Amino acid sequence: MKLLLLEDDVETRTHIVRLLQAEGHVVDTAGTGPDAIFLGTTGSYSVLILDRMVPGVDGLGVVRSLRAAGIQTPALFLTALGEVDDRVAGLQAGADDYLVKPFAASELLARIEALARRAPVADVATVLRAADLEVDLLRRQVTRAGKRIDLQQQEYKLLEYLLRHEGKIVTRSMLLENVWSFHFDPGSNLIESHMSRLRAKVDKGFDRELIQTIRGAGYRLDADA
Amino acid sequence: MQTPRLLVSGAFRFAIALALVFALGAVALLAIVEHSVSAYAVEAAGDGILAEHDVLVGEFETSGRAALIAAINRHTRAVREDQFHYLLFDAAGARLAGALPAAAARTGWHEFEVFDPDRGGSGRPVPVRAFGSRLADGTLLVVANDISDLQDLRTGLRTSTVAFGVLISLLALAGGLVVGTLFLRRLDHVNNAIARINDGRLNERLPRIGMGPEFDELSVNLNRMLDRIEVLMNGLRQVSTDIAHDLRTPLTRLRQRLERMQLGTDPAPVPEQIDGAMAQIDEILGIFGALLRIGAMEARGAQASLGTADLSEMLGRLGQLYAPAIEDAEHVLDVSIAPEITVRGDIELLTQAVTNLIENAMNHTPAGSRIQLELERDGDQVRLMVADNGPGIAAEERSRVLGRFYRIDSSRSTPGAGLGLALVDSIARLHGATLTLADNTPGLRVELLFPHAPR
Repeated sequence: MKLLLLEDDVETRTHIVRLLQAEGHVVDTAGTGPDAIFLGTTGSYSVLILDRMVPGVDGLGVVRSLRAAGIQTPALFLTALGEVDDRVAGLQAGADDYLVKPFAASELLARIEALARRAPVADVATVLRAADLEVDLLRRQVTRAGKRIDLQQQEYKLLEYLLRHEGKIVTRSMLLENVWSFHFDPGSNLIESHMSRLRAKVDKGFDRELIQTIRGAGYRLDADA
Repeated sequence: MQTPRLLVSGAFRFAIALALVFALGAVALLAIVEHSVSAYAVEAAGDGILAEHDVLVGEFETSGRAALIAAINRHTRAVREDQFHYLLFDAAGARLAGALPAAAARTGWHEFEVFDPDRGGSGRPVPVRAFGSRLADGTLLVVANDISDLQDLRTGLRTSTVAFGVLISLLALAGGLVVGTLFLRRLDHVNNAIARINDGRLNERLPRIGMGPEFDELSVNLNRMLDRIEVLMNGLRQVSTDIAHDLRTPLTRLRQRLERMQLGTDPAPVPEQIDGAMAQIDEILGIFGALLRIGAMEARGAQASLGTADLSEMLGRLGQLYAPAIEDAEHVLDVSIAPEITVRGDIELLTQAVTNLIENAMNHTPAGSRIQLELERDGDQVRLMVADNGPGIAAEERSRVLGRFYRIDSSRSTPGAGLGLALVDSIARLHGATLTLADNTPGLRVELLFPHAPR
């Protein structure tokens, strides 16, 4: 993937670039808002990663300018401004996701993957499939190997999110934000409890485990595992 | 430097203004008095002249010109306190009687000066007022009277006006100086006290200003403000000490771990050691995050713009999110949520508050405990309750657990920084809600009471 990173702190920038390159991404960097606007309008990127407090034009201004210029590249704010109002302002400016520093490397990578996937919108699909697992979005029916599986509402939403990001890692906070609409990190292992219930229904008794735990990162539903 | 200070003092300026007003008032008063008195005196003098004139005219009309001349001569000779002066000219302008100078031969009212005839025509000139008229045969009769008394009266009044004005102004000025000095001396005490407070003696209080209840009220109010500031400052000092202390513990542990890794004395595999170190850093960051949130919230204070927060929906979602984890912790979760309850508030902050309460209930109760989550209307208030039937909190500890970093001894072994309830308390205060910790017989019952729920 080709990514654009706007970050004025050299140490943080180097750290993130190494991280992304290690994952096989190609990264262009900008240290100021105007540079990022220039690169964003001229280059073709899969995802934009933007700091908010940068010289020149701040991150919000960068996103607004790019959106005004008709550039719909998914944008992720990566910033120390973590208050509720800050996040709302970031998303209103036109960003697609918001990650607060300090962040875990796995969290950033997972969110970039999720955003990049979003680009070719396949939301019109009415059936999601992974190997022998099938979810009928209209009837809200789940079957595996032709066998009907009854899921509770929360479990269904969880499974749908995993399927929409099939093959990609999803983190706990991505699940909290997108399945339960909560923007905080609770101390307890809330997601683990939900996941074990989902697994008990979706994976237990079948030859292959579709839902995998990725240590230190999150979960992945993988058809080819 | 004492004099200039006094001269620019408010009391002194006030005194000067007051002196000016007094002086103007005195001048105005005496001017009015002078005006009325002299008007009266002029009129009285005029009345006397006219009466004398009428008597002489009567004499002429009844007895003829010879009798008039005789009367004038007689009157001139008579010694009276109010001595009149006369002049009688015939139609051709020849003097018939009287001693007034020829210049006085005019009809109507007029004033002029004569050299006192009583003093042989010498000495100072005397002002006189005269009335003249022509009689039926063309004879000119002029009657005049000395008005020097009237002039003396006017001069006297004018002099006393100026004297009184000056005296009153001087008195007011002196009074102003005295009051100003007194004021400054009393305010000096207050200013000295403030200087001492500025130097850090926060327990110092302002003396009474005196001079009246309104000034005392001022110093009492200022002292009350100082009391409040002292409490806040002490709280702040306490918090920063606490922060330093509580962050030192996890930082020390982190340092020790890194040292062990450096020396290679930790038998655990390196990835595990790194995980442990990261977890410790996350714990420290968590403490910072909570502190920042509390600080930001308290700074926002009452002027926070709060929207409508759907508590029923939020609690429902929270209940579903927590149910499996609570079950896995071998606790029982009871949820009872009245529908469609909203309050004015920030939904994310309220979520944070309830989350902290639920986490507390999960972490500080033994397996098998029951956790209740309730939302109900209570009159026009809204009651949100999180309760458990665990060990509870002793009555004397309940108010202290709301303070930052306070941890009950028995909970020191469980993870956490003692910021949970402090955060809940801050959020409650921001929403004008009251936070109550009560005995759930057994267990702890935490209630948030929101005022005036919109319907």
